[in-house]
Amino acid sequence: MQKRTFVTGLAGVITLALGGVAPAFAADYPSQPITIIVPSKAGGSTDTTARIFAETAEAKYPGFEFVIDNIGGSGGQKGFETIARAKPDGYTIGMDFTPQLVAHIVSKRGKYTLDSFHVMGNVAEDPGIVAVPKDSKIKTMADLAAAAKGGDLTVAVNGIGSDDFLAAKTFEKEAGVTFNLLPTNGSTEQKAAILGGHVDASFMNLSQMIAQHKAGDAHIIAILTDKRAASAEDIPTAKEEGFNVTMTATRGFVAPAGIDPAIQSKLDDMLAAVMADPEFQKKCAASKIDLLPMSGPDYTRYLENLETSVKAVYDAAPW
Amino acid sequence: MSRTTVDRIVLAGFVVLAVLLYISTASYPGIAQKTSAKYVRFLAVCLGGLGAVQLGLSLWKERRTMPLALTGHVGRFVGLIVGLIAFAVAFNTLGFFIPAAIFVPVISVMLGQRNPIVIAGTTLGLLAAVYLIFVVVLGIRLPGPQF
Amino acid sequence: MEYLSEVFTLPAILTIVLGTFAGVVVGGMPGLTATMAVGLLVPFTYTMDPTLGLMLLGGIYCGAMYGGSIPAILLNTPGTPAAVATALEGYPMARRGEGSVALKTSVIASFMGGTFSIVILLMFAPLLARQALEFGPAETFLLALLGLAGIVSIVDENTSLLKALLSGFLGMIIAVVGTDNMSGGLRYTFGLTDLIDGINFMPALIGLFSMLQMLELAGQREHAPIDTSAINGSQKRAKLPKGLGKYMALGSGTGTVIGILPGEGATIAAFISYNFAKQISKAKHMFGKGNPEGVAAAEAGNNGCVGGSLVPTLTLGIPGNSVAAALMGAFIIHGMIPGPELFTVHADRTYPFILSMFVANFTFLIIGLAFAPYLARIALIPPSVMVPIVSAFAVLGCYALNSSVFDIYLMIAFATFGLLLKKLGYSLEGLILGLILGPIAENGFSQGMIIGRGSPTIFFHSEIAKVMWVIIIALLVPPLLSIARKWRASLRAS
Repeated sequence: MQKRTFVTGLAGVITLALGGVAPAFAADYPSQPITIIVPSKAGGSTDTTARIFAETAEAKYPGFEFVIDNIGGSGGQKGFETIARAKPDGYTIGMDFTPQLVAHIVSKRGKYTLDSFHVMGNVAEDPGIVAVPKDSKIKTMADLAAAAKGGDLTVAVNGIGSDDFLAAKTFEKEAGVTFNLLPTNGSTEQKAAILGGHVDASFMNLSQMIAQHKAGDAHIIAILTDKRAASAEDIPTAKEEGFNVTMTATRGFVAPAGIDPAIQSKLDDMLAAVMADPEFQKKCAASKIDLLPMSGPDYTRYLENLETSVKAVYDAAPW
Repeated sequence: MSRTTVDRIVLAGFVVLAVLLYISTASYPGIAQKTSAKYVRFLAVCLGGLGAVQLGLSLWKERRTMPLALTGHVGRFVGLIVGLIAFAVAFNTLGFFIPAAIFVPVISVMLGQRNPIVIAGTTLGLLAAVYLIFVVVLGIRLPGPQF
Repeated sequence: MEYLSEVFTLPAILTIVLGTFAGVVVGGMPGLTATMAVGLLVPFTYTMDPTLGLMLLGGIYCGAMYGGSIPAILLNTPGTPAAVATALEGYPMARRGEGSVALKTSVIASFMGGTFSIVILLMFAPLLARQALEFGPAETFLLALLGLAGIVSIVDENTSLLKALLSGFLGMIIAVVGTDNMSGGLRYTFGLTDLIDGINFMPALIGLFSMLQMLELAGQREHAPIDTSAINGSQKRAKLPKGLGKYMALGSGTGTVIGILPGEGATIAAFISYNFAKQISKAKHMFGKGNPEGVAAAEAGNNGCVGGSLVPTLTLGIPGNSVAAALMGAFIIHGMIPGPELFTVHADRTYPFILSMFVANFTFLIIGLAFAPYLARIALIPPSVMVPIVSAFAVLGCYALNSSVFDIYLMIAFATFGLLLKKLGYSLEGLILGLILGPIAENGFSQGMIIGRGSPTIFFHSEIAKVMWVIIIALLVPPLLSIARKWRASLRAS
């Protein structure tokens, strides 16, 4: 494999030297496996999404081969940096997830900006929700706002700067209240805190609490999306209740900026085609992955807007 | 250096570390002042306090000047550390297999193994086992040139 | 009972045996974890028969928890953090030529702990899960203190009380590096992305245990041979020391209880079981020098977590630890949402899965007992072969866990600095207890303070908290008294 890269590279140099226009060979692309960098550990839901994508794309597009490279930890920062740094030859792409991707930019920790990436498109989402213990007096978002008036409501979120945290901060502003915020180490602690009644409410994601909601062990009072979720029609949106709080965790594909447009459009088209594939949709549904297709330009706009709103929260109370 | 001297240097290091740690907690933002900062300050006070007491005891009581023997064979000891660091340096570019194929026989010879069959056998066995378990079965990607 | 017949079919048995064997291998390799193996295989089970798929993963879980003890005993390299306490007693035994006894003790204890916890899972899961929810952040903090109380009983002729405590605090301070969960701010990371998540256990463990051992072996002037007569001769029929039963029972109970608590893992269970065993043992002075009682308690403790951790996972969808979380993914993929339905609508899959774990435990029991005498011979490999191989695996293991070269440097640093501390009379066991339990203590403390709105009374409020304080004091008083007695005796002598 190394040899082939060398030959391709050499050929590239010669082409350039001869005043060639194509620095990489769109015609015989791909000549080697494409690495998908997954900025989380193997086995998680982002990882599963990438693996199902790779499987479907390999079946649909003969000649394409994918290798998954898990670079987990630090809230995805290490993985995002690796994607941004990768050689833009079309042989490295990666997954991103929000709001962490933009949160690292806003907090000035990430060694990249949105311009470091070519945004290929979004695949999936996990909507934000507000959950309360099953016997809680809080039944609606209005109840939550009323109960929080004294500043005496303990509310669990998954870490500072996470989607839960941002949603909670947005709600605080919207309702003019202040929570006693309890940062946790992930959804397991949040679930245990809600089911055990150790906190009054928790901002989290739909996939994390839907089972407990259906079993009656906890109660989801609102979902933080524009429309109700197909998998949970009974849960009202926060907007319906008069609180303009939307938050969802998206998972999409990005590539390092600067890939030859011919190759890049091949990859973008492939992503769109895989998203439309019934087999892909079936597998995602089985793994409880909620698809949210967004084209590259749409997703870019989404990320830019998100960056602005995250920046507003960060500037008010940096972390 | 004698064991006692090294011990005192390490203890003094602990005390300095504790003081720095205590001072640093002042800059914890917001809610962390009421939570994490208290915890870290407690640790700093304990480490610093106990370190100081131990240092005092050592200055007051210990008179022995036994030399500190970290290892019985300096060459091999340092050789292994250098080998490990070289392995780590090579890991990013060359991956696991190439550095391991050099590291294992070199360390083996350094530690006195002279039988070429044993050296070759262990090296190849190790590489094969890692390839099978990591690459073939679990599909974990290791950096460096792909085979 | 009709579910039993589903387990005893040829495909099922083959799947379980395969899963368990794979689990033992994964558990035995530092750097490979059961979480990783289960996580990677979950999508693969999508195409399998759901029941068989779950049996495969269950086998991996059971096997991996036991597998970690094999390298811990033979090479002083805990395959998983949960096997650290096993290494503390098992490796000295192997050096004495009692590797085979240690391996057998470990496998039988693992079997006991695993089986006991699965019986509990089968019979009392829903009831216990509700109880476990009472356990909040404040109680978690006390659980960490319970584990840290073990530092006091480390004290022996090599380590003074002061140095044991210093080691523990140093460990806790090292664990402070990384993101501050409460503020989201970074502490002491020096701008390194690799430190944002803090210092990983595994490089620290591999450095402090196996690499340190390899450095010592490499630096030995003459290689002290292991007492080979014991291994060559009667080892095949070596009998286990008498009276280990109560330590296994103690570990099984402790492990199961701690496993049931949401989010608490096998490592803390093994340490607390180990410390309990030390307190009730008649041969206290033998701890740290190769006491099979310690191996028995620690291994029963960490395997007790297997069944225990599935209690909240299956009944409430709150994973007891990270492996259980990955397993939960497998249930979800097959449309089996954790909750009461698992035991009613999906009973035809859930019960065979639980029962299959008994088979998994039997499988590793047989594997372990059959291979113990042969595995024990690993201890005979000369250092010139052992050191390079273990070092290479240590490097790979550190890297593989987080794909991080930084972790390899960390491991080397821990090995060298750890060796210095050891020679100066500090306790590495204390350092590791601090490293592992520090973050749990900090998180519990900080969250407790927030829930209690800044008042520490929350740590004394609940019934569980009161009981835990009693246990903590009961664990602290005897060793402190014995230290005081010795100190007075030495004063009088001088």
